[in-house]
Amino acid sequence: MSGARPAVAGAMAVAGVLVCILAALGALVVRDPLDRLHFVTPVTSLGTPLVGVGVAVQLGWRLSAALVLLTVGITVLTGPVLTLAIARELARARGIVPAERSR
Amino acid sequence: MTFWLVAGLILLLGGLAPAVYLAGRGTALERMVGLQFAGAALVPILLLLAVGFGQPSYLTVPLVLAVLSFAGVLVFVRLFGAAR
Repeated sequence: MSGARPAVAGAMAVAGVLVCILAALGALVVRDPLDRLHFVTPVTSLGTPLVGVGVAVQLGWRLSAALVLLTVGITVLTGPVLTLAIARELARARGIVPAERSR
Repeated sequence: MTFWLVAGLILLLGGLAPAVYLAGRGTALERMVGLQFAGAALVPILLLLAVGFGQPSYLTVPLVLAVLSFAGVLVFVRLFGAAR
């Protein structure tokens, strides 16, 4: 088991790094900011969890691994919220959705 | 140089550099996409570097970044919306 753990951790980290790099390259290729936002989602929802679980597996069953998983959980929860907030403001700036009524 | 440091360095070059480039082009609102990308890419980078340096206490940094990045981007977006 001790021999398999670094291999599993390394494989997950490599997969997460690849997802993040491919998403970054995709965001560079696409020109429209609204389309570009789609490429942030793989980083927050797939790349960071893969790296985080890989790091947690490497660290083992201890408090620092829980800290890593907490960080990953916050990223997974807050990433889509931020994407939605930016997309909504971009859509309002373009007139795709009506502007919020001023109070 | 350990595997984890190399992975962090590769992600720094392949993930954060494009995000910084995106954050420097376009209108203010379009740059927010780059800012969010930079924040999202920095979290796994800091996780990898913390393990690479063998310092579990460094894991506090990505945790704080994840929370502050969320609040910071939301405040920026709100201010841009109010300014229009």
